[in-house]
Formats: sequence, structure tokens, C-alpha cells
Amino acid sequence: MLAAAAAQAGGGVAYITNQGDDSLSVVDLATGVETGVLSIPGRPAGVAVAPDGRVWVTSPETGALTVLDPATGETRALALGGGPLGLAVNPVTGAVYAADWHGDRLFVIEGDRLAREAATGDSPSGVAVTPDGATILTADRDDDQISVFDARTLERRAVIPVGERPFGVSIDAAGAVAYVANVGSNDVSVVDIAAGAVVATVPVGERPYAVALASGRGFVTNSYGDSVTVFDIETLAPLAAIDVGEYPEGVGASRDGARVYVANWMTDTLSVIDAESLEVIAEIDVGSGPRAFGDFIAD
Amino acid sequence: MYNWSLAALAAAALAVAPMAADAHGPSRQKVTETVAVAAAPDAVWARIGNFQDMSWHPAVAQTTGEGGNAIDATRELRLGDPQGPTIDEVLYKYDAAKRTYSYRIEQVELTTLPVSNYSAHLTVKDGPNGGSVIEWRGAFYRGFPNNDPPPELSDEAVVNAVTSVYRLGLDALQAEFGAAN
Repeated sequence: MLAAAAAQAGGGVAYITNQGDDSLSVVDLATGVETGVLSIPGRPAGVAVAPDGRVWVTSPETGALTVLDPATGETRALALGGGPLGLAVNPVTGAVYAADWHGDRLFVIEGDRLAREAATGDSPSGVAVTPDGATILTADRDDDQISVFDARTLERRAVIPVGERPFGVSIDAAGAVAYVANVGSNDVSVVDIAAGAVVATVPVGERPYAVALASGRGFVTNSYGDSVTVFDIETLAPLAAIDVGEYPEGVGASRDGARVYVANWMTDTLSVIDAESLEVIAEIDVGSGPRAFGDFIAD
Repeated sequence: MYNWSLAALAAAALAVAPMAADAHGPSRQKVTETVAVAAAPDAVWARIGNFQDMSWHPAVAQTTGEGGNAIDATRELRLGDPQGPTIDEVLYKYDAAKRTYSYRIEQVELTTLPVSNYSAHLTVKDGPNGGSVIEWRGAFYRGFPNNDPPPELSDEAVVNAVTSVYRLGLDALQAEFGAAN
């Protein structure tokens, strides 16, 4: 539906983990067309695009981490064990961090091999790294907290209580503030990372899953609300509730901030939101059960 | 697992250790089941659109609850007989105009239904020849939270269990309202 006409702004490529059919959809965001599908076993969920353009994908059911080189189309799998779910890539060092949902630890991949581990809280899910590469955050879902790690030493510098069942975590461009979607308390915790404290709480819809930041706004997927809550980053005032597909989960912004993309787990689509008008301008078909949990958009 | 119906479910009895109610597996599952019936959508909705009355499902012996069809209304389903196991549910969406409601399970023993973070949607759509299509969809995780679940608690087993529950209810509605013309 109108995908090609509506999606020129934004642009780039989206890598969508389809947990239902063990695949990764490659979507050309300029045309709004799925241009390829790769098979990735183990119920792929987490995804992160690295600074070098490679794409990392977690498979929580098989304990694997797969890396795709889009230039060659080749994939390689690393056996981590446990149940890796959320992941993030250090924008400075290229190190990859995968949260072990079952083992309550953070896997650290350096030089394309499992190099180190750090203990987290219970059921770590989302992972984020500050833009300077110095600090790692994990959302420890079943401990209702964020863990803050020194990226170099892996020392856990702080544990910050947030709302109930934090799942997705995102960090602003300045590296100062984190936004945490709390599945259990239907809100977003706004965290001052340096101060190690929640400075505000933003009510959102039912079962929020993840947060994307674009055009001075926060976009929160409400997985039971079939909607995206939009709030102003400065004032934290609610701006809109946008109807999307069913069970929206992963959410990400285009590099230019003009578009926000939402993976609808039940509907098997990607909703394209105009970040200015706050309207859904296109729906793109992807695989079955898309999660797209992480930084899934490349240039 | 609770024997929802001897005919519909031949699930083995399980010995399941208690687990944290909110823990779950990493991969959400979905089930969609439908049935086409001859009765008009409004008639079907009148039968199944009351959140406080699940008497149309053969496995449900009793429905007790509070809040009617308002958001956050609750109900307790008692299965089988007055001593049967229970499922506690909460209504989180209700749209009579669209003939649909959505609810989630607040509390269920894994021996009754081995799910976690379960939500579901019951909808009556227009069918062919003035009839109806009833759709029941669920989204849930397996209740067993770690890797390598025992076979009876695997994703596949849980999907099969939910599918059987839906089929049991939908087939009963087809018997009640007649197959679509």
C-alpha cells in the first residue's frame, strides 16, 4: 500500500528479525520493498547494525549470534550459549554486547569472538551503548532495574531502579539520558545516566516494549495497545497515540530522523511513520512474527 | 496439563514445579483459529460478546467477575466442575461496534495452561450469506522460562494446547449456530 510513493524520505536499509519463520528480512526503505530474506535459525530476535555495516542477530533459542556482511551476503554464527536476546554494538570500538536472558549476564564479543562476560540483573533484555562508547546499559527486566557498566573494564558502576519489567532501552544522541520502556508499569523511565537516577516517568500505553528517538520526540511501541505513543523529549508532554499494526515491538528511526519504523509482530508488517506529521504513511510486508529488537536500521 | 476436554485434548498430566509467574521463554507464539457459522454476526456477538459469560465454551463451568465489559473488568473462569482449576483474566479492550474484545490472563497454573504473558482477542466478523466468521487469536510465551523445556512445556506443546482450547470453543459455537451456508 503506497509504500514506494510514501517512503522516499528516511531511506536506508532495515534488517528485521522474523522470529516466527527463522529469518531476517532486508527492506529497502527508500522503495519500501523487502529485497531479500536470509534464513537464521533459533528464533532470531535482537538485531544491531555495527559501524562497519555488518549486522548482528541473536537467536535466543539456540544461543547463537549471527553476523551478516551485507556486502557479500555471507553469514557466520558464533555459539554463545544461554539465551541471547537484546544486543548493541559499541559505536567506537565495534565490540558487540548480547544480553543473556537465561544466564543473567552480558556477553562481550571482541575481534569477532566471545571475549568476556559481565554479570547483570535478572533477565537482561535491552542493551544500549552511549555514543562515546564508554558506557553500556542493560535493562534487567525481572529486577526492575538498569545496570550501568564501564565499557572498558566491564565494572558495573551503578544499578538504577526503574519501572516494572523494563525491556527496551535507548540513549539520546548526547549520551546523557536513557529512555526505558517498562512493560509492567505501562510507562517510560527517563534516566539521567551520570546521576544514576530516574528524573521523570512518562505514562504510555499498554505493555510498552521499546523507545526510538527522532525529531525531538520519543516514539514508544505499546505492544498490547496496537499503537505508538509519541512524547516531546523536552517537555515530556504526550503528543499523539498513533494506531499501527498489532503487537508493535521493535521501533527505530531513519538516520535523518524523518521516518520511524515499527515492526508489528502479529500483523507481519513494518509501519512507516512520518516523524513530523505523526501519521502512518505506509505498511511494508515482512516475514512472520517480526521483532526487530535493537538498532535495526542501516544507512 | 489440565484436561480441557477428553475429546479435544489428550494432553498428559504433568508434574510441574512452581515457577515465577512472570518469567517466560524468549519467543512469543501466536495462534489464530476461525470458524464460519450460519447465524448473523449480531446474534453471535450477543452470545459471546459478554466478557462476564463464557458459558458458550464447553470447558468453562462457571464465569464470575466484576466490572462488566468495562476496561479492566475481571473474570474468573472455573473449568470442568466446581472444584476445577481456575483462570483469572482481565479485559483490556472492548469495542461492541467492531464486535471484538481483548483480554489477558492474570493468573493460571502451568498445569492448567502452560502459558505466560498470554493475551487474546475474540472477534465476530461478517461472513458469507449473512453469516458470521468467529476469530479467536492468542499471543503468549511458553511458561517454562529457560532453554530446553521438557516436551510437554515446549513452544510446540503450548501452541497445541491453546489451539485445542480455541477449537473446542469454536466448534461448539458452530454446533450451536450451524455451519455457514
